[in-house]
Amino acid sequence: MSGPAHRATDLAALWILRQEEPDWTAEQQAELDAWLDESLLHRAAYLRLREGWRRADAVARDEAPETPDEIQQAAPRRWQPWAMAASIALIFGISGTTWWRAPAPVAPVNFATPIGGHQTIGLADGSRVELNTATAVRAAIDGDMRTVWLDRGEAYFEVAHRNGVPFVVHAGVRKITVLGTKFSVRREGDKVSVAVTEGRVRVEDLSPAKASRAAVITAGDLAIARGGSTLVALGAKEKVEDALAWREGMLTFTSTTLGDAVAEFSRYSSRPILIPDAAVAAIRIDGAFEADNVDAFLRLLSDAYGLRVEQDAKHVRISA
Amino acid sequence: MIDAEAIDDWFCREVLPLEPALTRYIRRNWRQSEDVFDLLHDVYALALGGARSGLPDYTQGYVFTIARNLLTQRSRRARIVSFELITDLESLEPDVDIFSADRNMVARDDLRRAGAGIDNLPPRCREVVRLRKVEGLTTREAADRLGVGIDAVEQQLTKGMRALADFMLGGPGHIARPSRRERQERSK
Repeated sequence: MSGPAHRATDLAALWILRQEEPDWTAEQQAELDAWLDESLLHRAAYLRLREGWRRADAVARDEAPETPDEIQQAAPRRWQPWAMAASIALIFGISGTTWWRAPAPVAPVNFATPIGGHQTIGLADGSRVELNTATAVRAAIDGDMRTVWLDRGEAYFEVAHRNGVPFVVHAGVRKITVLGTKFSVRREGDKVSVAVTEGRVRVEDLSPAKASRAAVITAGDLAIARGGSTLVALGAKEKVEDALAWREGMLTFTSTTLGDAVAEFSRYSSRPILIPDAAVAAIRIDGAFEADNVDAFLRLLSDAYGLRVEQDAKHVRISA
Repeated sequence: MIDAEAIDDWFCREVLPLEPALTRYIRRNWRQSEDVFDLLHDVYALALGGARSGLPDYTQGYVFTIARNLLTQRSRRARIVSFELITDLESLEPDVDIFSADRNMVARDDLRRAGAGIDNLPPRCREVVRLRKVEGLTTREAADRLGVGIDAVEQQLTKGMRALADFMLGGPGHIARPSRRERQERSK
């Protein structure tokens, strides 16, 4: 009786490897589908192996952070539910085949949005970049290399596929190499968050005097890099959706503290919102709000949570 | 008829976390340890087939019932298991507590486990798995980096993937060795 499951698993491993390759074709997918339909043993071996292999993506996380910071301390509590939501999303790696080359000197083009702004720009290669509030990017596109610098703020990228022409986003010391197509990058000081909706990206730390570190994340994953460490949340599909709600002009909160929610709103308004009382800032809220409609949000706080909202020309103050 | 994607999803979400408990159950009730991997997959295949007419309400009971019936049937056919064991099999209920502990353990430890699983691999295997998982290199890129052929990379990656997936699903994560019978067949 020994044998068939081992043979099926060996074949499944080859399928999975080839499926991750950039040159995977529709014909190959059809062959794989036929192989999977051939027997339930094939399907069982394939699903099992793919799931186990995919779970090991967690290793993309930094392996030895030198400076444990608050991200890491928060990690076990905050990320556990998403880690449990084991994703079975197929990984279609669409990667550039060319290794990093020194970029040819091209004068970068600048784009920026003001506070509360929201703008989509088209790049020369057909890629699109959607800028959120208070965002500045520079883009240098030529035949060999496509480079975008996110100087501040948040942007969503839809990268046009160009064989052999890498697309790289620099956010501070983080370098994000596009191996797929759709993702967003957000920069707040030295903290960089990357959320992927389609394909794969590689996030690298280019800080001097550090061994090069990289994390590869795929659709539905989120990476948050700060200081010397990168935290990766795999299969965080809902979180990725929340993180991208701004594209519809919305802010989505799922059990978010009032302090964090207010910080989000503050990005869209030049009038700071203050919460002097830590107990009030710790209240957890849920819901979807229009990003540019702070008033509706403040009304909810006073109506539904019984909080006191005081406003003047310069500040908004929330208290119990 | 349930659509295939929903079945695949259910299988990964609800059935695969049972693997450590299911493996122990099979091992405890079957003499030849080299058959365990096949029996495990036979249970999986039957579970996938049965789910086509509807997903079970209680996956754990469903899967262990399949396992028990399969072992009973194979034992009878093989005529190698004593009558006592068959009786024992039929009365044996899967251990609920062991299962729920496994499930939490496996899900919670993914991050830590992945690193440990890779460290467990033999050196060459570990290197190609690292290039794949951590640096995101394609097979071609990895082959160029290491100065070896694509076949060699694929071979090491296949081995590494099997061992690492096994480890991530709660197994020991050893490199699979061909069973005794396969080795005999090959040497013929």
